[in-house]
This record gives sequence, C-alpha cells and structure tokens, in this order.
Amino acid sequence: MNTHKSEKFQATTKTENGVCTVYLRGELDLSVAADFRLVMEPLVGDSELDLVINMKELKYIDSTGIGILLSILKARHGMDVKFTVEDVPPQIQKLFDMTGIAKFFASQENSH
Amino acid sequence: MSDDIQKVIIQLPASAEYVDIVRLNLYGIASKMGFSYEDIEDMKVAVSEACNNSVLYAYEQEDGLVDVIFEVGADALSITVKDEGESFDKVKASGERMTLHDKELSDVQVGGLGFYLMQALMDEVNVISESGKGTVVTLTKKLHLSEERV
Repeated sequence: MNTHKSEKFQATTKTENGVCTVYLRGELDLSVAADFRLVMEPLVGDSELDLVINMKELKYIDSTGIGILLSILKARHGMDVKFTVEDVPPQIQKLFDMTGIAKFFASQENSH
Repeated sequence: MSDDIQKVIIQLPASAEYVDIVRLNLYGIASKMGFSYEDIEDMKVAVSEACNNSVLYAYEQEDGLVDVIFEVGADALSITVKDEGESFDKVKASGERMTLHDKELSDVQVGGLGFYLMQALMDEVNVISESGKGTVVTLTKKLHLSEERV
C-alpha cells in the first residue's frame, strides 16, 4: 500500500453512449480545486449527458472537493439531470457519509 | 516508557501547495507511533482542514507562514496549526454542527464542512482565535494499541 505517497491530481474524461465519466486520480484538495472546477464546468451544463465521477484512483478529498461536488449536485438537480459517483474508496465514502453528501448521490441512483 | 512529549515543528508558506507536505509529515510521524491506517486517514483530513483555514482566511493576499507542531506523547498525538493572520470567525460562525443530514439539496450551502470534519474525526479539537493575532487550532488523537509495544 502506497497511500502515503503524494500523487499528482489528474482528471480524464470519457464519453460513451450518452454517459460522460470523469476519472479522478491522486489528491483532490484546495491546491487543485480550481483545475477540477475548470474540467467540470463545461460538463455540468450539458443536459444531454449523464455525468459520472469515477473515484477508483482518488486517494484523498478535502472539504473543498466535497464542496465542488455539492455545487455540481445542485446545478444538475436544478436541470433535472443525473450526476453520480462510482467506485468510491472506503475512506472517501466515510467522509461522504459523515458530511451527509452521500444521501444526495444515493437518491439519484434510485431514480430513472 | 517516559511521559515526555517530543515535538516536531515545521514551518511552511501559507499556500495550498504546501498542505500535502503537512500530510506527508503526519503520515510519517503517526505511522511511526503505531496509529492504524484508518486513524491516520482521519488525521490527514482533519489536519488538512486546519491548514486550509489558515491558507484561505489568515493572510488575504499577503504572504504568510503556518507553523505545524506535532507533539508526540506516549498515548496521543497532538497537532497544532498556527497562523498569525486574521482570525477565522467566518468558520466558527458557520456553526459547529454544519452537516447536510437534515437539509434538502436546494437549501444546502457550499462551505463550512471543514470545521465539522475536524470535530468529527479527532478526539479533541481546540480553537483559539484572537482578532489580529491569528488562530491556533490543536487537534488530538489518542493512540489505542491492541497490545503493548516491545
């Protein structure tokens, strides 16, 4: 396990069959929050696509990152389109449960 | 075993790019003390949130410094994050129990989760904030060893 090693943040996007998946790597914290917002901005407004964030390789998220996810949830909710997360590592799921953001993701998995 | 507390002190620029350096140091110290993987992850989040507050609120646009003091005790690790900028009343004013659990998505405000996470993840959190003198946040996690160390 190499969890102590700092890994550079990366976001790569793949669009297939009307679903846009953003794969996150490394640590999503205050120092890369602006980069993350920049990647997400054009995708959030696209109501033609379902938006998914894959967190399999995400090592760490702070309250800034959770805040961005929350603003995306709000924007997508307002447009009545989907935004979900997948492959959430246990230590990140714990933070989602603790803060309460988890229920907003869960409520969408049951819709449609 | 002695009750003496040993200190490790690092001083960093109050800039977001250095918060990961605090996490790396924390990992080194906490794993050496014998903390579990889960406890270390909890502390990483809490300490980063304390540093974020200093980076975001303490010095506005000016350059400043953040001191991080690790106090290694026999059965606990305390981490103090200290800046000499403006106090972070903003964070305190947003409430100690700011979570999303009883809220609808439309009522949710982005921000204010950092302080809540610190409290939820650590055994003790102390915040001393004096106007014009900066903020001192001390976070403590107790060490629970399954057996005596040799």
